[in-house]
Amino acid sequence: MDLLLLSVSDVSMSVSARQKLETQAAENNIVKEELELLDSSNTVFKLIGPVLVKQDLDEAKATVAKRLEYINGEIQRYETLLKDLEKKSEHQREVLTSLQQDFQKAQGLIAGKV
Amino acid sequence: MAEKGNTNIDHLGGVVRLREEHQKVVKECQSRIQHWKKVLGDYEALDDRLRTLPDQLCYDIMVPFGPLAFMPGKLVHTNEVTVLLGDNWFTKCSAKQAQKIVEHRMKHVGSQLDDVTKTMKNFEARVGLAKDLESMSSNKGDYVDIREEVGNNDSAVTKGKQRIAHKPNSKPKMDVVIGLKEEDEAETGDTGRSKGITTEEELWARLDELERLEELQDEQDRLSDNADMNGEDTSSSSSEEEKEAEAAPPVNGLSLKPSWSSVPPSVQPLRDRKEEDYEEDGSCLPTIFFFHTVEPKKVRINTGKNTTLKFSERKEQKEHSKRKKKNGHSNGHSHHELHKITTPADIYRLFVDVKNGEPIPRKSILKSRSRENSVCSDTSESSAADFEERRMVGRSFSHDETMHSDTSDGIAEEDSPTAMPLQTPSRFEAFSGKVVEKDPMPSTVPYLTIVPPALPTILERKQEEVAPDVTPPEQAPKRVSKFKAARLQQK
Repeated sequence: MDLLLLSVSDVSMSVSARQKLETQAAENNIVKEELELLDSSNTVFKLIGPVLVKQDLDEAKATVAKRLEYINGEIQRYETLLKDLEKKSEHQREVLTSLQQDFQKAQGLIAGKV
Repeated sequence: MAEKGNTNIDHLGGVVRLREEHQKVVKECQSRIQHWKKVLGDYEALDDRLRTLPDQLCYDIMVPFGPLAFMPGKLVHTNEVTVLLGDNWFTKCSAKQAQKIVEHRMKHVGSQLDDVTKTMKNFEARVGLAKDLESMSSNKGDYVDIREEVGNNDSAVTKGKQRIAHKPNSKPKMDVVIGLKEEDEAETGDTGRSKGITTEEELWARLDELERLEELQDEQDRLSDNADMNGEDTSSSSSEEEKEAEAAPPVNGLSLKPSWSSVPPSVQPLRDRKEEDYEEDGSCLPTIFFFHTVEPKKVRINTGKNTTLKFSERKEQKEHSKRKKKNGHSNGHSHHELHKITTPADIYRLFVDVKNGEPIPRKSILKSRSRENSVCSDTSESSAADFEERRMVGRSFSHDETMHSDTSDGIAEEDSPTAMPLQTPSRFEAFSGKVVEKDPMPSTVPYLTIVPPALPTILERKQEEVAPDVTPPEQAPKRVSKFKAARLQQK
């Protein structure tokens, strides 16, 4: 049971993390598209803390692209992790069900005997 | 869903929960939709603002000064807008460019909104379904849940399992009781569930019984036929002959002696001829009657006692006894019935040579019988089985003729048989191959194959008595043409 819970919690954690990554990925996609639309006349800033730092357009584009790649990689990693956790939890569930069945049988036997 | 049990209440509970869950999802979707709608509204307002902003160079506005105060101020650089692209990225762009960005975002928001709306509709449908299910399980509405208690799983499973794939031509053994039961069920296809092991055994016993009954029936039929035919002294031999005749057709191709199976018409006359004692019933049947040559030998060897029934057919014995009763003949005649041939296997059973009183399976006619023939050329008592048989046959034939006047067995066909013998030799050419060549007794040659093994003992005995007299002269002239021999015999 405990193992199952652990696995379940792991699963949920992984799931939430993956969701976050997914939103970030979406966001970065939009940024990338917008940056492509911009021309050199526009200055690009990056917010680092309370400071807006001027950035080069190309640099910005590159940075965004890299970030996007990183995010995708993270997503993949989390996906595999999620699968493993799912398997584990499934296994735990099976064990649990079998135990429950045995328990019920035992109960039935006892009831019959009684 | 997991809570659903066998009872309606449980079902109801499960359905209710399902419905509730669906409704939750629907609410969530609705909230999301609202959110997106709001965002969309904001973007639209922004878009308007951006459109009007560059109209003036600067605007007098009340600038918020902290959370509680405002300050009059001016809005300058109306065309310069710093736009958040996402993920802490900003860009300075003109109002129009900003507008473009806004448009993009609005598009994005719109798509999100559509997705959420779809989801919501989907779950709304599910909610409706859950409601219906709820009403059905509670038997409130017009819908009734059809429930079928599946309690025969075991039997079904076992039935399936019990279907044992039998190997072809494999018979379930009787001793394996349990296996039988299963097989029986499998064979009978769930019909024999109640049938137990006993039924299987009983079935087999019944089959055997029926088989015997059938045989008896046939005998009776034949007997009745014979009775009809035999006006006077129905010789059991004749009836037996009939039987054998009837059985002969299947044996046709398996003629023990030479292969005169190909000459049915000749056989018939031959048979008739041979059947001096026997009635002429062959005419009505286009059958070939084989007279086993073993018979005479057998009788001879056993000193008239037909104990050496090589073909131990109970059936024939039964018929034998029956015929005996009916016809009042001796054992000899009853032997004919014993020699009734119904299956090819019977042939091997019937046609067994007797050598020194022991039954020996007859060799194929294709095999050389030189030894036998040469050895037993002389006396009827010689060891050569076939030869002896042939001689016996011949003797029987000859005796048939002779016995017309002598014995009481041969009756009606006395005349016809006598006439037939003349013809028969010529027709016996086919089978005379092996037998004839080596058989120095021409007279015996033609008849050998015809004489059924079940020749009446009495007849044979008489033959024996007479044969010695007749055969020696016949045997003496070795290498006499068969036709001549036959003619001689007929004389």
